[in-house]
Formats: sequence, C-alpha cells, structure tokens
Amino acid sequence: MLQIDRMPDQLLSQLETRGITSDSILLCAKTDISPEHIYCDNWLIATKDDLIVVSGVKTLLPKNMTPAQRFLHPERLQCDFTEIGYQYYPIRTVSDLKVENLISDARLTARQKENEEDTGSFVLLSYLSGSAKNSAGLFVKYFNQIKEKGEVTPDDEDFNREIFCPKCGRRYPDPNRKICPHCMDKGKIIKRMGGFFLKYKASILTIFIIMVLSSILSVITPYFSNGFFYDQILSSTGAFFGNILLVLIIIIGTRIIGIIFSMITGTISAKITANVVYDLKKTIFSSIERLSLSFFTGRQTGGLMTQVNSDATSIYWFFVDGLQSFVINVMTIIVIVILMFVMNPLLAFLSLITLPLFVWGIKLIFAKLDKLHAKRYSSRRSMNAQLSDVLTGVRVVKAFSKEKAEISRFHAKSERVAYDDRSLSTFETWAFPSVDMLLYIGNIMVWAVGGWMCVKGDLTYGTLLTFVTYMNMVYGPMYFFVDMVNWGADCLNAVNRLLEIMDAVPEVVERADPIPLEQCEGRVTFRDVEFSYVKNRKVIDGVSFDIEAGHVIGIVGHTGAGKSTLANLLIRLYDVNKGEILIDGINVRDLSFADIRKNIAIVSQETYLFMGTILDNIRYARPDATYEEVLEASKIAGAHDFIMKLPDAYATQIGFGYRDLSGGERQRVSIARAILRNPKILILDEATAAMDTQTERQIQGALERLTKNRTTIMIAHRLSTLRSADKLIVIENGKMPEFGTHNELLAKKGIYYKLYKLQADALKNVGIEA
Amino acid sequence: MAETQTQVSALDAVVKIRYLDDTNAVFSEQDGFLSLKTTQPNEEGADEEQTYERVFLHSAFPFDMPYSYISVLDKDQKEIGMIRELSALSEATQKILRGELGRKYYAPRIKKILSVKERYGFSYWRVDLENASDFSFTVQDTYRSMLKVDHEHVFIVDVDGNRFEIPSVEALDRASYKKIELYL
Repeated sequence: MLQIDRMPDQLLSQLETRGITSDSILLCAKTDISPEHIYCDNWLIATKDDLIVVSGVKTLLPKNMTPAQRFLHPERLQCDFTEIGYQYYPIRTVSDLKVENLISDARLTARQKENEEDTGSFVLLSYLSGSAKNSAGLFVKYFNQIKEKGEVTPDDEDFNREIFCPKCGRRYPDPNRKICPHCMDKGKIIKRMGGFFLKYKASILTIFIIMVLSSILSVITPYFSNGFFYDQILSSTGAFFGNILLVLIIIIGTRIIGIIFSMITGTISAKITANVVYDLKKTIFSSIERLSLSFFTGRQTGGLMTQVNSDATSIYWFFVDGLQSFVINVMTIIVIVILMFVMNPLLAFLSLITLPLFVWGIKLIFAKLDKLHAKRYSSRRSMNAQLSDVLTGVRVVKAFSKEKAEISRFHAKSERVAYDDRSLSTFETWAFPSVDMLLYIGNIMVWAVGGWMCVKGDLTYGTLLTFVTYMNMVYGPMYFFVDMVNWGADCLNAVNRLLEIMDAVPEVVERADPIPLEQCEGRVTFRDVEFSYVKNRKVIDGVSFDIEAGHVIGIVGHTGAGKSTLANLLIRLYDVNKGEILIDGINVRDLSFADIRKNIAIVSQETYLFMGTILDNIRYARPDATYEEVLEASKIAGAHDFIMKLPDAYATQIGFGYRDLSGGERQRVSIARAILRNPKILILDEATAAMDTQTERQIQGALERLTKNRTTIMIAHRLSTLRSADKLIVIENGKMPEFGTHNELLAKKGIYYKLYKLQADALKNVGIEA
Repeated sequence: MAETQTQVSALDAVVKIRYLDDTNAVFSEQDGFLSLKTTQPNEEGADEEQTYERVFLHSAFPFDMPYSYISVLDKDQKEIGMIRELSALSEATQKILRGELGRKYYAPRIKKILSVKERYGFSYWRVDLENASDFSFTVQDTYRSMLKVDHEHVFIVDVDGNRFEIPSVEALDRASYKKIELYL
C-alpha cells in the first residue's frame, strides 16, 4: 500500500468492517476540508476496483500534546476516527481526476460514467486546502497508474521532499534550504560568521589584549583621581602629602594611554570589519549571480538589495561598535564589582541593590521605545510612499485636477508622522530621568551609609569617593547592555539572512561535463514539453514542434498563454518539468550555459539598459565589437538615426538619473545589442511592440535580411508582426493546438483564423484592408 | 523587376550606412559654412550628383574617437553618410572638417577652480578658463551634471547647457581638485 499520508489504524479497522482489507488498499491520501468548509479528514482510498472517500473527524486521544510532540512521537498518538461521510465509486466508472484550484482552496473532481455511451456526470470527491494540494496531486497521479496498470510504482522523487524540520516538526520557511529558524543553531551561525574573521587572527588577538589593558586602566583611574588623591595627597597623613604634581601626571598619563589604546583598537577593528564586510558582500553578490531566475521571481528584488546592503552594514556596526564596547564593559564591570566587594561588602551590596530594578526599568523603556519607533517608521514609510507616488504620478494628478484631494491626503499622513514624532520625544524626555532616579537612590544610600562610616572612621573619604565613581561606572553601561541584546539579535538575523542567500541552491544547474556546441546550426526541437512555475498549474502542457535551421517561426497566442515561457525555457532560465528541448539535437541540459547563451540572443518585452553610455549598452553583448560593427548593428535595428540626434551620440549616458530613452528607443537599442551578438538563434519576444507600425515594418524589413541563415523565433500578439514567418505556432492555455504555415492555419479555420479575422476586422473598421 | 530593385536599394538606405570619402564626396567651406557635393550610383547604375548647400557634422563617438565615424547631416538633420576616418581624406578636406568639428565641439577648458559653493541644490562655480579669468557659472544637481567621459576627463554642464571641459582632473592643482573631488 502506498500511503501518501499515514492512515490511522482506527480507520483501517473501520474499513475492514465494510469488507475492505488493508491488503487490498493500493493507495491512500488525505485531504482536509469538508464541502461545508469545515476542516476534517477526507481519506481518498483506492483499491484495484474501488475508489472510496471516507470523511471523518479525528479525535486525538492524548489531548495535551503540542503539534511538535505529535510530529515527533506519532507512535504515542492514538486517534478515534468518527466517520461522517462515505462515498464509493467502482474504479472503472471514474476518470479524469483533477485538482481544480480555487482562490484559496481547491477541489478534487472526477467524471463518472457507467459505460462508454453514457455522457457521464461530474462528481466532487473532496475539498482540500493548499496544504493538501501536494497529496491530492500525487493521489491523482498514482490513481491514474492504478487505472492503467492496476498497480502503483512509487516514484522516489515525489516523496523525498522534506518540508518539515525533523527536530521540531515545524515547516521550513524555504524547502530548498533546510534550516528551521526555531531549531537554528545560533552558535553555528556565529561560528560561520567567525570564519570570515578567521583570516585576521593576529589583529583580533592584539585588539583583545589592548582591550584588557584599557579596562584595567579605566578601573585604576578612579582610584588615583579619588581615593589616592584624597587619602595620600590631600590628607596630612598621606604618604605623598602635598605632591599634587605627581597625581596630576598620573591622571593625565593614564588618560593619554587610555586614549592611545582606544585609538589603536579602533583603527585595527575598523580595518578588519570593513574587510570582512567587503568579503561578505563579495561572496553574497557572487552567490546571487549564480542563482537561477526563479530565486529572484520568488522574492522582491528591492528586498534583496536591502538585504545585501543594510544587512552587511548592520553586521559592520555591530562588530565595530557594539562588540568592542561590550567586551570592554563586561570586563570592566566584573573587575569593578569584585573590587567593590573587596573594599567594602556592605557598601557594595547597597550600591548594587537597585541594579536589578534599574535593568528591568531600562528593559521596559526599550520595549516601549521599540514600539514607538516601529510606529513612527511605519507612518513615515507610508507618508514617503504617498509622496513618491503622487510625485511620480503628477501628470495624472494634474490631468484629473486632484491636487486638493492629494494635499489633504498628504496632510493626514504627515499629521500622523508629527503625532508619532511627538509621542516618541515626550516619552524619551520623561522615561529616562525616571529610571535614573533609581540610580540616585542607590547613590544616596551609599553616601548616607558611607558618610556615616567615614564619620565613625571605618572608611576614608577617598575610598568613599572611589566607591561612588565605581558605582556610576557599573550603572552607566546598563543602557548599552540592554540595547546590546536587541542589537545582537538584529545582527544575528542579518547574518542569517545573508547566509540564506549564500546557501540557496540554484535550481537550474549546469552539467559538470557539458557537451560542446561548436558549430551551431540552429535547429530547435521541443518534445512533449511540460512546465509550471507553481506546482499543479501547468503553464506549458505537452508542446512539441521542430524548427529547421534558418527558419522563421512565429508564436501567436493571447496574452498570458505561455509564449514568453517557451523562450525562457529555450535559453534555460528554467528547466522543463517533463519532455525535452533540443538544440541541434542536443538536450539543452547537456549544453553549457555559455554555449546556449552564445548562440541564442533574446530581445524581450522588458528591455533593460544598464547605467552607462549607449555604446556600452550595445556592446554589452560582445565587448570586443568594433565601433563600425556597433554602428552597423544600430543601423539595422533602426537605432542609429535617433542616437545620432543626441548631442553626445553614442557616448550619451543613459540609465538612472540620466537621459531616459522612450520605450521604442530602448527596444531598438536592445535589438541592436542582440544583432551585434550575431547569434544562430534569435528570439524576438514582442521586441517591436512599443513601436509604431511603420517603424516596426522598417525594422522588420531590416531584420528579414538579417534572419537569413538564422533561426528566428518571433513572439507577438500583433499578427502583422509575423508576416514573414515560415511557420506559425499557436499557443493557447499552454497547449499547442495549431502548427503550420499562415495559409494552412487559415484553411483550418481554427484559433488562428479567428485571431486573424478579428485583427483584420479591427483594421477594416478604421478603413484599412489587411 | 525594377520595382523590387528600388525596394532593395530603399531597404539598403535603411539598413546600410553609407560611407563618404574623397571618391564620392567633396566638401567645401564658405565663411564657416560647410557644403557638400556627393556622387552616388542611382537606380540605373549611373553616377548621380547631389549638392547640399549646407551640411552639419556630428561625431558618433565624440570622446573615444572624435575624428572617426563622423555623421554628415543635411539641413533637416537627416544623415547623408558617415566619414569613417578623417585622416584618410585629403589634407584640404581634413582642414575644413577639423575646423567645423572644432567649432561644433568647442567647450572652454577650466584651468583652475577658484570656488564651488553649494546652495539649495545648485552649485555656484568660479573658475579660471583658458580664455577668461574669474568666470562664474551655475550648475543644477551637480553630481549628475558632471559628464564623466572617463575617470579623468570631465565636462561640467551648467544650467544653460554650456559645457566646460576638464581634460584631466588629475592634472588640476591640488586646491582645485579638492573642490570637485566630492562630485567625481
């Protein structure tokens, strides 16, 4: 029995009372929603002859187990299965099992018919949530196997996807990277981070030694400026009575040494950390470039940019600023506290008694501050978003004379920012002094008791002064310590996010020993290609075609039909799920990325031009191209004339902050880029869509000469673009219902015919005969 | 047949760049105005002469190679052809064209920067030019108004579109360099 989900024993015994033995069950899986949209367990069970759906409610017997425990100790679980529904179908009558996606849920449907003549009816087998889609999909797959062959042969690949952490049973946030944030070993992260610092062992050791020295220094300074000064120099009984110069020299000397120490550590650590951050950024950027396209479509690029930049920066500050002060402060405080207890245990006790309260107070303040800061951040962000939104869309605002409305909208947002600013500063002004009161209370107690001791002669005045100074030295860094906890957590998160990028595995992997493709002819074959970006949602479904070398192929279809996906698959930005794609008879999986991209150039609907000159942008495809080749390519692409109208011609800077080219101009520049590449296979993905028809014709005329001896794949929804195609592929809903020449397809009176009529009629309406 | 021939040559005009040299073009100059006489095989294959009273020059790669790939434009700024290499032309023509290019691409050079003051998004410059001393101009959005040809060669574009050239920022004196370092 293949259990896609583990069936409870209770259910098995219930089934046996209905005459279904566990041996006869071939396949079972679980879905999770009832038709009334209540969560329940629907067991899909298939035997050789029957399809059964048992719905029920599972009651867990040990009630007080956490989900994690349940996952870890399934043997402890006993459940009572209360049946609430039972559907039975003879397997020969059901066919076409299908997981139909709804907006959030899905449903598993089938067609039931008694015999061949019967038109049949649809049956709803079960509703299911997104979490059960995988199970349901697999059930459909293996159910079809049973129908065909009467048995199941499990495919290992379907079951090796671990999506739960084996330690705690929580789901991995990213199934490609098996790291559970809950069980994440923080020590391990720090260790990996430490790896980046390892190069600088010697410098780090130096820093550490100097830090120890400087904390010793900061501990003895108060002794000289207070205890020693009053007891040994000012008091007539002191050993160095009257020798003020001595103490001045000592005080100034220690100060200077201290400053020098901190300068040295500062310099060294800034250098190390900057280098480490540089290494980090470099590693991360190269990891990013290595990743497949799906990684980027899976998350926001803006987010990625922040990740690399701000995370590296926050790591930098943590190590430069945070960690150093932390180490110094901890060492200093330990030494001071010990000294205080040695000097006078009672006073030490008194002065530290308010410390826990003090720390607790600071913690409260910081928690509240965090909230206020977050609030202010979000209101600021929303104000800024609105501002940039309105300023970019100022043409629309003016066109609809919405200035007043926008002003009042902005007022509202800006008022909220002002309010948040106010409450933040108000809070800060009273919160900190209140906590500091605790410190004063401690201070006063020490003065009172210490003063009394002085009077009694148990304590010298100098010792008391030293004591008070020490006490303040203990309290002072507490703010920092509390903040340090947050700071450390932030840094850890940053490191973790960066490691996430570094550990991400590219989905499209180049073969280790690719087959070289020296003389590419340009034959392209798609064989039963299936592809989906998201599971269970096929974008390309069983597409097969052959393009002979040097032919021009047009791909037609509605928007979103999957036309561009075909191009993405050919240049292997994604891998097919099923079937294969061949170039010159070689599977693209066996070719090197370099060979694929050397021989295929793509001009896509989204043209991206980099910052730099137009010349740089055109030469991006082939940096060794001569100036004359650039001119020729631009001329063919119809870009030369508009470029020469610019004052600096090809040396014109474009990109962020500089001259912006229009959509059509950008497309022409990117066509020039592709032409310069001189590829064997040229893909034009709506490459001329942003141009007027006349310019398009002109460029097409030019391209036609270019497309000789070159396989060209043109993707367009404007049929006039495809006039020159030898053959046309019609794509609809990921399938390829029609393939042939223009005339063949017209004769077929199918989808292409309809599209053609539609566009021709549209032209007729405005008085043009197509 | 004749029609397809025309179509082909019409397409040629669109797709191919026509290069001008001493064999098919004669430039002349009168009072600083450039005129051109070209010969070109017409549809029947015979040479056809065409005269342009006024032509303009525009360099395709003005910084990388100012004397190569120069576009010759007619009065409607339509390209007649390109000059591949100025030095391949006759001495006389070279002199004419160099003169015209010099006039077209003239930008005063900055010898010394006296002061740069930034106020509210504008910067106010006082410089010594090669042809004027203590000259002042105003630049908006300074960073983006620095046209960086390479890491040394810089043009500063002022609010009126005037260009001021610094052939080498490294060659400037220390004090001048410090004043613009921020914008480089």
